[in-house]
Amino acid sequence: MIKEEIDLKELKKEIAIERLRQAPPNIKISFGAGDGKFLNRDELIEQVEKDTEIGQKIVKIQLEYLKAFKRGLLTPE
Amino acid sequence: MARVLFSRPSHDVTLSYLFYYSRELVDLSEELGYKTINKEKEEANRKIITNLIQKQNPNLIMFNGHGGDAFVCGHKNEIIISSKENPEILINSITYSLSCSSASILGHEAVKKGAKCFIGYEFDFAFGKDPDSEAVPKRDRIAKLFLEPSNLLFKSILKGKTIKDSITKAKQKMKENIWYLSTTDSFPEASYYAPFLFGNYSGLIALGDESSSIKTN
Repeated sequence: MIKEEIDLKELKKEIAIERLRQAPPNIKISFGAGDGKFLNRDELIEQVEKDTEIGQKIVKIQLEYLKAFKRGLLTPE
Repeated sequence: MARVLFSRPSHDVTLSYLFYYSRELVDLSEELGYKTINKEKEEANRKIITNLIQKQNPNLIMFNGHGGDAFVCGHKNEIIISSKENPEILINSITYSLSCSSASILGHEAVKKGAKCFIGYEFDFAFGKDPDSEAVPKRDRIAKLFLEPSNLLFKSILKGKTIKDSITKAKQKMKENIWYLSTTDSFPEASYYAPFLFGNYSGLIALGDESSSIKTN
């Protein structure tokens, strides 16, 4: 059970990283950095790989977005 | 006459964008005849802002700044309001905190201590930047898609709509922009920004009396 949970977490990280890898390197996101710095693609990936607090949030929103998109929740009314 | 207080630090690139976008909100507040108290840059500090809140009892407050679950900051990231120290000073006010995740703890604590309504984000507020804009907010077509819904929310409140209606309007705009980013062919990186705007959409929340408005407060 514990192993399955660990694997699921790793799988979610891999999905998020794969999606980010497809992005152009020059994307810039302000996301949770207290110094106001924008993160580029590689810095976003690094946060996920290192499993930082920001990285965990990136994984969460990537996965939630994909779920919402798949369920048609974002389709214009 | 209703009183509106703005706290607008601008000491880094992220905040300079919020600073630029909130200018039109200050102007609108003045045009609508509210007593508008605009504290920006180094004046957006703890001493000045907390004194103004206690003396002027603003009906509506907008905080731009970095934040966390339990606090919102001003100039040079000085904490202005925190859930442990002074959430009670927001008593009877409607507050919009444009900062990371301050709705998750600070918002609840402020409402418990008597704030009329606290609008904010349960997760980190994100926005993308157009690499070609050279960090000039008015040229930035990506940042606009993230920050315009936030402005729409506050404009709606200034115009007297209820908090509930204002949130609905902002979320609708966010949803339109998420769809645009997810589907447009106008620029190749668009779809990679969409999840971050979705994070703002999911995290935007109003705590307290959602039927309140600047007119009833």
